[in-house]
Amino acid sequence: MKRFWVGIFRLAIGLGAIAVALSAHSQSMFRSDPAHSGKSAQAPRQFHGVKWKFPTGDRIMSSPVSDNKFLYFGGDDGNIYAVDSETGRQIWKRTTGGPVACTPAVANGTVYATSYDGKFYALNAQTGAIKWKFATEGERRFEAKGIHGLQPKNQTIADQFDVYLSSPVVANGAVFFGSGDGNLYALDAASGELKWKFKAGDVIHASPAYADGVVFVGSWDSYFYAIDAATGKEKWKFHGGEDPLIHNQVGFQSSATVSNGVVYVGCRDSNLYALDAATGKEKWKFFNELSWVIVSPAVVDGKVVFATSDSSLFHVVDAATGKSLLKQQDKAYMFSSPVIAGDVVLIGVLNGTLQARDLKSAEPLWDFQTETSKQNKGWILTADRKFNEPMFFTSPWREAPTVAVDRQFNIGAIFSTPLVMNGVVYFGSTDGNLYAID
Amino acid sequence: MLRLVATILLAGAALCQAAESAAGRWEGVVQIPGNELRLVVDLSDEGGKGWTGSIIVPGFGIKGAELVDQHSRGGDLMFEIKGALGNPRAGHAQLKARLTSDGHLAGDFMQGGNTAPFILAKTGPPQVDLPLRSTGVAKEVEGEWKGDYEMMGYARHATIKFAVRGTEGVPVEFTIVGKKTNNVPVSFVTQEGDFVTVKSEEFGITFEGRFSKEAGEIKGTLSQGPMEAPLVLRKTS
Repeated sequence: MKRFWVGIFRLAIGLGAIAVALSAHSQSMFRSDPAHSGKSAQAPRQFHGVKWKFPTGDRIMSSPVSDNKFLYFGGDDGNIYAVDSETGRQIWKRTTGGPVACTPAVANGTVYATSYDGKFYALNAQTGAIKWKFATEGERRFEAKGIHGLQPKNQTIADQFDVYLSSPVVANGAVFFGSGDGNLYALDAASGELKWKFKAGDVIHASPAYADGVVFVGSWDSYFYAIDAATGKEKWKFHGGEDPLIHNQVGFQSSATVSNGVVYVGCRDSNLYALDAATGKEKWKFFNELSWVIVSPAVVDGKVVFATSDSSLFHVVDAATGKSLLKQQDKAYMFSSPVIAGDVVLIGVLNGTLQARDLKSAEPLWDFQTETSKQNKGWILTADRKFNEPMFFTSPWREAPTVAVDRQFNIGAIFSTPLVMNGVVYFGSTDGNLYAID
Repeated sequence: MLRLVATILLAGAALCQAAESAAGRWEGVVQIPGNELRLVVDLSDEGGKGWTGSIIVPGFGIKGAELVDQHSRGGDLMFEIKGALGNPRAGHAQLKARLTSDGHLAGDFMQGGNTAPFILAKTGPPQVDLPLRSTGVAKEVEGEWKGDYEMMGYARHATIKFAVRGTEGVPVEFTIVGKKTNNVPVSFVTQEGDFVTVKSEEFGITFEGRFSKEAGEIKGTLSQGPMEAPLVLRKTS
């Protein structure tokens, strides 16, 4: 009998250890876990080479996730993919009715993803077979009259930088995601039944973060919300900046991270905010001189790591005070979120490079440049890999800005947030490839 | 000594020939990776006073951008493109060219640290677009003007000081105070009737306003790139 209890005790310890190990390296949803910690397994400190690349039919804005068996990601070609992480071989693909510009979540043998067709998909992780589908009120991008100063200024124009769909988060038997219809949805993860929906004032394309029974998400209506995960009732909301003239400095596109009772989130009003998770009260904000903070910040050892768009700065600030600790000039906008991979920080850059920095010093360790970026067709980049705006932003009129942004993005840009497993780094690029490098 | 005289004479003839031959309208392409860039270049050297020129880049919204001579010597021509295809970070775009033996203008187009070759053929006489020059302003407009505007969700304070007539160079100082103080380099200032324009090509900022002596204001708009905001300036001195 005693041996039996010892056996149970050992088993319990063993299961606990496995659970800890899984949580330490779980990367089954956007930013690894429901609170969006952005922590990952140790990344290589030196670049060795490309292990494999998996071509798809269009750009990849999605980030790969894993259940320690396969990699799952979405493509703008409308497919949700499962790929063998070792060989890069396709296991299955499931075609949806629109670009899958979100990062899927995988839990309990089910892959969850949103698509621009306005449907939410739950697929069998082994086979890709549909378990259930849920229809939202329809997808759309953020839009406004004369957005970013484009002409004609009385015409409603879609925001070309609203590139991601909301990435689902699975917690407590529910799956949470935002939508272009302005709703935050909570569905039963097993059945797809609607538990509740919360209506914000505009598009929600950030990924909700979940901690201690509360869902945190921002909207393009300029508010950041804390919603009771069980009831869908608003606990508090925080008002970010407004920009009624050209709608450039407004909206939460960044996905929040929650750490030690504080919510950290970037905003298009060019601030990084630290908010009290219980009350929504602003603890501090870090102003970025009109540069958006699209990335989801990462918190490690009392420091917040994030990066900016136009100013292309890589920042480390004190988590308690918001004071700058380190600042490094990068070459181009960063929308990809920083991943804390052991003593290395990985981040994708829109000039088509994946960058590895030392966590302590923020100094670059290595970078990988996609072939498309190296080719630099149309001189989208300067010789030192910065964006060469005069060569693609030729006019604010008619469809020229749309064409310009497409050309800018298609330089092999890395919007995808990298995932690290067993010393291999996985990420997608707008050149249509999912890369595995080590 | 005879050899030296002959060399000087030959060099002089070559210079003269280069100047004469390079004048004209030139058309052709720059072969950049994955794209062909069409160029129409106008070069003139009227009266041997040095080169004036302008460039058209179809599809890039560039018509008549000024070509500034960068100490062209003999057959080696070097021009900087002003007000187009450059930016504060990467500097101005440049054309480096030389006449070929078969009468083409060939060289390198340099932009953003990238370089690509071009060959242009002469298609006619030059049609140089002359750049806008400062006209100065009326005496009533001289002095310091201030006003506030909002752009991208943030309040800014603008000060424009029109210098007294007769001052050399561009007779205006332009300062914008937002989160930081920016001294805006002014390319030109013009006044046509009551309509005053102050333009900074480097910053992409233009103020256009109507001067009213009765109201003591210049009422107009400030535009920065594609954005614009109403701005009313009032005289402080």
